Amino acid sequence: MPQQIKRLISAFAIVILLFLVMQQVLKPSSFGVSGHYRFLAIQENKLKELQYAGSESCIKCHEDIHIEKSDGYHAQLKCEVCHGPALRHVMYADKFENEELPDSLKLNKPDERKDCAVCHRINAARIKITFDTIDNSMIKQVDPMKHNLVHKKTKVELKCIECHYPHQP
Amino acid sequence: MENHLQDLHEVLSKVQGYVYPNEIELNWSILIVLYPYITGLVAGAFILASLERIFKLHILKPTYGLALLTALSFMLVATMPLVSHLGKPLRAYEIMVTPHLSSAMAIFGFVYLWYLMVVLLLEIWFDYRRDMVIWANETKGIKRFLYKALSLWTTDISPKAVALDKKLGYIVTVIGVPSAFLLHGYVGFIFGSIKANPWWSTVLMPVIFLFSAIVSGIALVMLIYILLSKIRKQKIDMACLDLIARYLFYILLIDFVLEGLDQIHRIYEAEESFEVLHMLVFGKLFYTMFILQGLLGTIVPLLTLGTFQFVQPKEKIRKAVYLVTSALILIGVFFMRWNVVIGGQLFSKSFYGYTSFKIGMIGTEGYLMAAVWIIVPFIILSFLLWLLPPWKKKDEDADIQEV
Repeated sequence: MPQQIKRLISAFAIVILLFLVMQQVLKPSSFGVSGHYRFLAIQENKLKELQYAGSESCIKCHEDIHIEKSDGYHAQLKCEVCHGPALRHVMYADKFENEELPDSLKLNKPDERKDCAVCHRINAARIKITFDTIDNSMIKQVDPMKHNLVHKKTKVELKCIECHYPHQP
Repeated sequence: MENHLQDLHEVLSKVQGYVYPNEIELNWSILIVLYPYITGLVAGAFILASLERIFKLHILKPTYGLALLTALSFMLVATMPLVSHLGKPLRAYEIMVTPHLSSAMAIFGFVYLWYLMVVLLLEIWFDYRRDMVIWANETKGIKRFLYKALSLWTTDISPKAVALDKKLGYIVTVIGVPSAFLLHGYVGFIFGSIKANPWWSTVLMPVIFLFSAIVSGIALVMLIYILLSKIRKQKIDMACLDLIARYLFYILLIDFVLEGLDQIHRIYEAEESFEVLHMLVFGKLFYTMFILQGLLGTIVPLLTLGTFQFVQPKEKIRKAVYLVTSALILIGVFFMRWNVVIGGQLFSKSFYGYTSFKIGMIGTEGYLMAAVWIIVPFIILSFLLWLLPPWKKKDEDADIQEV
């Protein structure tokens, strides 16, 4: 066999051997325990801090609002969509039964026009609604800069929630 | 508690119309644009080198070695945009040691390894082995050691051994051409096979990627050859340069026609995604697609290179035009990749809206990072040209004929 072929074959053999050794050394220990992935990755993700509590946990203390909301347009809207992630609130609010909650545990109470506009601003890409349709699957759309901007008589600037109670709009 | 609605306002200001929540942020940014771009440069440069070898176009000899070394320099960096995009430098190697065959993405490891180890390195090795043995005897110190190690401590440079090198090198090149097609066809396949994305999903995608890759690779070698001759103060072989320009013209023409065909096909089919794509092309992609890719990167080079097929101006003018044209083509092909990768993520798969993309300067997805992966291959190429200068190779044919 010519010299260069011998050398090439040995070089390739060394590279392949090196790869196999490196693979044994470098492969994560939990790889392949249950399929082609690093099994411990699931544990690592579990360790991440939770933020959301889920609306079931809100009902325990705020049942009145749940009942109020349950037959309105916002019945399907979960509490944390507007009020923000609430896990810390749910976990620690009990300890402040008769005192005021510290700011870090208070949830959002969005009441500005722009807050409602996140969902209710006119969006050409959404299905349009006509005045006589009543369909809960459709989100009502308004122009937040025009829709009853001020009170007709007093000329005072109006917020959406002054006419539409968010829990039963 | 943080005001999450505030964040929501900010995020939604990027959006026009309706998009699904996971479409607001572009997950594939400039580094994923670079990946097909760099791989394409490799495939293109290699194809240019094989023209000389397989089709015996000896006029192209001055660029043969340069094209191979260019392909190798870019090949060594081709995976880096992907690895740095993943953003986990401490366990980036894990992707290399856990190969598998069931994902189209993971197949890149095999395609890449085949092309690097079996094609590119072997061809360069067979081509340079004799010279490395000679150079090892002529030099001292670290350079001598490098030559010895790179030639795998072989010493046999008898005419018989050299003839064998030549023969095996030829076989590797013959295997190499379909492999280069496979390498870049594969990259096109990755995009073309995503059926949920109407901007990507076309069977022509691998072919279009391949031809634009050949175009960009040839343009790159042409640019490097002109610049290198200037730096080395050597006379440019105009016959070689003219022939490269002619091939560049032909392949650019095929590329242009194929891309045009793809668009005509889309327009004629006018599927339900047509409207959203139409607005995308004339809106967010207007400058990158019509001006940078179409006009500057394709039409202008086609006109200038096409004119040169009939009228041959003075050498000086041709050189300058080739320099500018190759740079324009390189920019054009970069923006072709941009339009595919970024464009495909700018519209919602609901066909009802768009998101927007703004590239940052710093950070792992910024353009400084991208610039690093464009500059590193040139540093590698400078080193390779220092170590294995193609212009210092001894003429093998003369030796063989003597015997």
